[in-house]
Parts: sequence; C-alpha cells; structure tokens
Amino acid sequence: MKVRIIVVLALLSCYTVAWAQEETTQGYKPSSTQFMIRGYAHAGFEYQAVDGDARSTFLGSSFVPIFIFKPSDRLLFEAELGFFYNSRNEVEVSFEYADVSYIVNDYIILRMGKFMLPFGTFTERLHPAWINRLSNAPLGFGHGGIAPAAGTGVEVRGAIPVGSAKLLYYVYAVNGPRLNTGVDEPEEAGQLMFENLIDNNNNKAFGGRLGLLPFSNSSLELGASVYGGTVGDRNDSLYSNVGALLYAFDLSYVRQLSAVRGILDIKAQYNINNVDQATYFEEELDGSFTPYTFNNSSNASFAQLSYRPTMAGNDIVKNFELVGRYSNFQAPEGAEWEQQSTQWSFGINYWLSWRTVFKVNYQSTVQQGGHGVPAGETVTTNGLFVHWAMGF
Amino acid sequence: MKNLKTILVFALPLAVGLFLAASCVSTKVAMKSGAQLWGENCVRCHNTPSPAAYNDTDWETIGLHMRIRANLTAEETRKIVEFLQSAN
Repeated sequence: MKVRIIVVLALLSCYTVAWAQEETTQGYKPSSTQFMIRGYAHAGFEYQAVDGDARSTFLGSSFVPIFIFKPSDRLLFEAELGFFYNSRNEVEVSFEYADVSYIVNDYIILRMGKFMLPFGTFTERLHPAWINRLSNAPLGFGHGGIAPAAGTGVEVRGAIPVGSAKLLYYVYAVNGPRLNTGVDEPEEAGQLMFENLIDNNNNKAFGGRLGLLPFSNSSLELGASVYGGTVGDRNDSLYSNVGALLYAFDLSYVRQLSAVRGILDIKAQYNINNVDQATYFEEELDGSFTPYTFNNSSNASFAQLSYRPTMAGNDIVKNFELVGRYSNFQAPEGAEWEQQSTQWSFGINYWLSWRTVFKVNYQSTVQQGGHGVPAGETVTTNGLFVHWAMGF
Repeated sequence: MKNLKTILVFALPLAVGLFLAASCVSTKVAMKSGAQLWGENCVRCHNTPSPAAYNDTDWETIGLHMRIRANLTAEETRKIVEFLQSAN
C-alpha cells in the first residue's frame, strides 16, 4: 500500500514538474477566477493617566484579514474578520462584513450581504489602522460609538461623472439598528445597537449618501448621509413603534500643494442621532422600578488635519507626517449614559512604506458623565500611544 | 456655543478646502492619464500604492475591490489599473 502511494505521489510530482515547465515555457496564463487575502495588522504601547492615575500596557497584535474572491470581471466577494485580544486576555473574533457585489453597468453596483455602511466616510474608508492617521477612532466612532458601522441587506451604489465633477450615490435597505431597552444593561437604555444580523422587526431601515466631488482632481468631497427606521422589537409593545433617524455630513480635502511642498489632508464628519422618546425603567435598591424618559438625541463630530512633506528633498523627511484632530461626543442629557466629551489628539507618524506606519500620538480627553465617571464630575485622561500598523 | 462648534467643525475645513481647490486647474477626467488618476484618487484615503506591490492579475482584483469600496468611476478604475499594470 505504501509503495502504491509513493508511486502515485512520484507520478503526480513528475506531472506537476512537467506542467510547470510547460507553463514556464509558454508563459503564465492567469485564470479568470482570482482569490486574494489582504487586510491589516497593528500593535503598540499605550500610556494613559486618568486624573493622574497612570497605567501603561503593550497591546497585543490585532490581525484583520480581508478575503477577496473575484470569479469574473463583474462579480466580487469580500469578507473581513478581526482577531483581537480583549480585556480578559481572550482572543476575540469579529465578523466585520461579508458581501457580494455585482457590476451592473458603468454607473450601478449592486451589493448584498453584510457590508460597511456608507454613513459618512470614517467607518467605510478611514477606520483601518494603516489608513487612520491616529491610533484610535474619534469620540463616538468605532466600536461602541453612535456611528453605525455595518448593516445586513442590499445596496446600490455608483459614481457618475458630471462634467468636471463627480457625483457618488449610495442607497441601501438593511435590517437596521436595534434599541437597547435597558432590560439587560440598564446603564445603556436608549442606545442603538448596530449589529442586527437578524431583524427584530419587519420594518427595514433605509439609508443613503450623496457625495459630490466638484473638482476634476477629486481633491474635495462633500457628503451627506441619512439612515433611519424602526428600532424597537416587534414583540415589545412598549417600544415597537420607536424609530430613529440618523444624519451625517462629511468633508474631505486631499491635495499635494507645491506651496507647502507636501500633501495636505483634511477630514471632518458630523453625526447626529435622533431616537424617538420612550420610557425606560431604573431599578431602585429596594427592587422597585422608577420610570424615566429623556430627549434621546446625541451627536459626535471630528475634524482632522494632517500634513506630509512629500516634496521635501530628503528621503527621511518626506516620510514624516504631522496630524492633529479634534473630536466631540454629546450623549443625551438625562440618559444613564449621559456624557459630554471633547478630545484633542496630536501625532507624528513615520511611513516605513506606503502601507506601513509607525505612529506616536498624544491625546487629551475631557469627559463629563459616562461610564466610570461620577455624576457632575469631570475626568481628564491624557495618553501617549506608540503604534505600528501595516496594510497588506 | 453648541451651534458655534458645529459651524466651526465644518465651516473652517470647508473654507480652507474651497480656497485651496479654487486655485486648481480643472481638467476633465477623460483627458487624464492613469498615472494622474492614481495620484489623485488613491491618496484620498491612503498613500498611493507602489505599482510593484502586486502583479497584473492582482491589480485587476484590487482594482475591482477599490472601485466598489471607494466608488471610483468605471473609467477611473480602468485607467488606474492599466497604469499600475504597465508600471509594475
């Protein structure tokens, strides 16, 4: 039996070598089906002082592979997983998105599955660690923020040239966000939960974005997004009619300017979340429940400026980049998660290659309310972040 | 104060962006080379990729991926991919 296996393997090897030689002789002919693994990874060191109470830690690597499968020139499947260490020293796997896109024609692309929502631009385009100029997301964005990240459903998108300008459009229908009623997490009553793989009601959420690039060099993009629907559970009579309407406005300006001998990159986004008013319940020490309500409106914004002297004569100098960002988060007054936070971040980056960056960031956050902050008190957190990130 | 912050977050970058963009020469995309489109579009989110980073077949796949993700036009995508394939 072993002899047979060895003979078969030997014959296969001979065939493979002969085939490979033939391919080498005749030239490489790629198949129409293509598969790639791309993605990014990052790790680093963080030092943070919360009102003078300092703590520091190295951060374990995060590995985020993106699987891309292209069966034809019109079809593309993409899926992203995220491998992270959580605060309990466990490896956490997140399923960021998995969707199929079909190129209908030059102006229409149809997508289905779980996809990144084009709600503003930060989540869809800028959040990967090797693209984000700073070590973390702005306040209110990213995991646990008020900005929706992904949705499960169907989307139509496309780009239309209009003279020297360009118009980008996105229209989608997804399961939509779900309302946290506070039954399991009283301190988060009224928040929206965006991971809704199975719809909790029969009302789909609809959204869209319009982006205008008025100049032919694509340097400036102005965008407006809207996203809304019913967020209450259909079986919960108290919340079944609660809806939400979210807006976002974004701006991007990126241009290499000879006047400053480098690339100037400006990004800004402003998110507004309005959730219908509802009654929630706070459990008292004696086990009774006290109803309360609040105006459930929150917003988050950021503005970022970065500069890289790409036209400098020195090869080392042109790899440096300076970045500054202001961000702000306002959670509803009267909610258990009420908070007002502002943050300033500054950084110096060094680009080891076009997709590998070493970041050193300083960040100062002033927070009133929110998790871990006693009511009426203000907490200042200063941090130093040293990260590397690589796209591949 | 809240409205003032909102206005500042948007109005300042917008004003700076419009001022800088106003000085740019407008050329229709159809008349642009793939190299020029590569330099103008990729950098909107990340650094311009080195053409040598991938082979011709990979650039086809990445081109389609980026057409969808960045919502590039069909013509922009075709020209950029052709440039990357010719320069790698």
